Amino acid sequence: MPKHDTPLLDELEKGPWPSFVTDLKRQAEKKPECFDILGQLELSFKDRITHWKHGGIVGVFGYGGGIVGRYSDVPDQFPGVAHFHTVRLNQPSSKFYSSAKLRDICNLWEKYGSGMTNMHGSTGDLVLLGTTTPNLEPLFYELTHDLNQDLGGSGSNLRTPECCLGRARCEWGCYDTQALCHHLTMHYQDEIHRPAFPYKFKFKFSGCPNDCVAAIARSDFAVIGTWRDDIRIDQAAVKGYISGEFIPNAGAHSGKDWGKFDIKKEVLDLCPTECMWMEGDTLKIDNSECTRCMHCINVMPRALRPGLKQGATICVGAKAPILDGAQFATMTIPFIDVNPETEFEEVIEVIEKIWDWWMEVGKNRERVGETIMRVGLPTFLKVMEVTPVPQHIKEPRSNPYVFWQEDEVEGGFERDVKEFRKRNAQ
Amino acid sequence: MALSKDELKAAILEKALNAPKPQLYVKDFYACDPDAKPREVKNAANDLVKEGKMDFWSSGSTTMYAAKGRAKDEEHR
Repeated sequence: MPKHDTPLLDELEKGPWPSFVTDLKRQAEKKPECFDILGQLELSFKDRITHWKHGGIVGVFGYGGGIVGRYSDVPDQFPGVAHFHTVRLNQPSSKFYSSAKLRDICNLWEKYGSGMTNMHGSTGDLVLLGTTTPNLEPLFYELTHDLNQDLGGSGSNLRTPECCLGRARCEWGCYDTQALCHHLTMHYQDEIHRPAFPYKFKFKFSGCPNDCVAAIARSDFAVIGTWRDDIRIDQAAVKGYISGEFIPNAGAHSGKDWGKFDIKKEVLDLCPTECMWMEGDTLKIDNSECTRCMHCINVMPRALRPGLKQGATICVGAKAPILDGAQFATMTIPFIDVNPETEFEEVIEVIEKIWDWWMEVGKNRERVGETIMRVGLPTFLKVMEVTPVPQHIKEPRSNPYVFWQEDEVEGGFERDVKEFRKRNAQ
Repeated sequence: MALSKDELKAAILEKALNAPKPQLYVKDFYACDPDAKPREVKNAANDLVKEGKMDFWSSGSTTMYAAKGRAKDEEHR
């Protein structure tokens, strides 16, 4: 396969940062099809349009996801990428894999694909870029039999569930994100591997409101750790921060001299609900007003910790499409127990209530958040059997019409019109 | 579910073979048995794929169903 002139792409090799163009050129020495990737991308830069087509019936037997068919629309010019399918692998929970496992995956991909990877896709999958249709089945066989790995989700499937590091490395994890992620991955194998819904559906699990996997912004079903009692305060450690004994933010911003730590300026005044104050040298918190922004805990981790009655909040309906229409998830279940002893049945019950409704009401290619927007949050809350709380209301109502339900009206909607008119007859 | 599973599968396949568009969303099959739950329709359609009578067609973001031989890869468009 010949090299192509790539003056526009070569510009991306200049500067101090790593360049994917350099990586591709290096990979092309082993896998000549990578020259064609560079050539096609150069053409796309010139034409200002993509030359990839995607979609088709490619996949492995028994699976309806995990492989995305990808083709060049200029195969005569770039035959090396005429077929260039993407393979998604289900990553381990929190992406804890050994270097040996990564080496095995890379070796397998050198054997059956272009050797190029994307670590990681937005749902966390290990994304393997570029293979041909005849290579898919042998790749899948070795992947599942020798490497004990499985494909992830794509299309109208449940996408590969993703979780933060959780309690494995983080002191703020309010539930075991890895256990829940793994359990639901196994529980919903059919939904991950075969299409089930009007459109894609994503789970993400964050152990605390810092939300390190951005569940609230990117997943249809976000499970975010929280607590329902009071933030634990170590008043001696608070004094330690004030006196300069402890470095704020666990030293995360220590690359610059920010001056002496000022608890008022850096913590109290930044509390979004203004629920913190000092009484002498004692820190006070009105916990009923705390919105779990985590700022105070992040700044003074030795002094403040999440409460002990821990569980999760469930938010529904986020999406982050590339073009437009990104929206955050809506808090639906303020607090739920996340209990491995019941095999997380409380969470599963909520998931399936949403699915049963969305599969019936959702339009084709409509994310659950879009369905909620279309039918209105009150309808969704009614389906979920959740009583609305003031926090569900974004702004005062501007629509003057109130649509009462029949059971909210005395006597219902049925009435005797003649009887009613008698009152005005005289 | 008013139809038996086999009757539902037959109705889905009939629709997939005769619909003007070769690729159909799973919701397009709901009308095959309005009394069936969406999951039952989905499971019946997925069984037909397992039996080799239908194919999945995926764009990467959405998946559709087509009777065997009716769907085309982007390569052939």
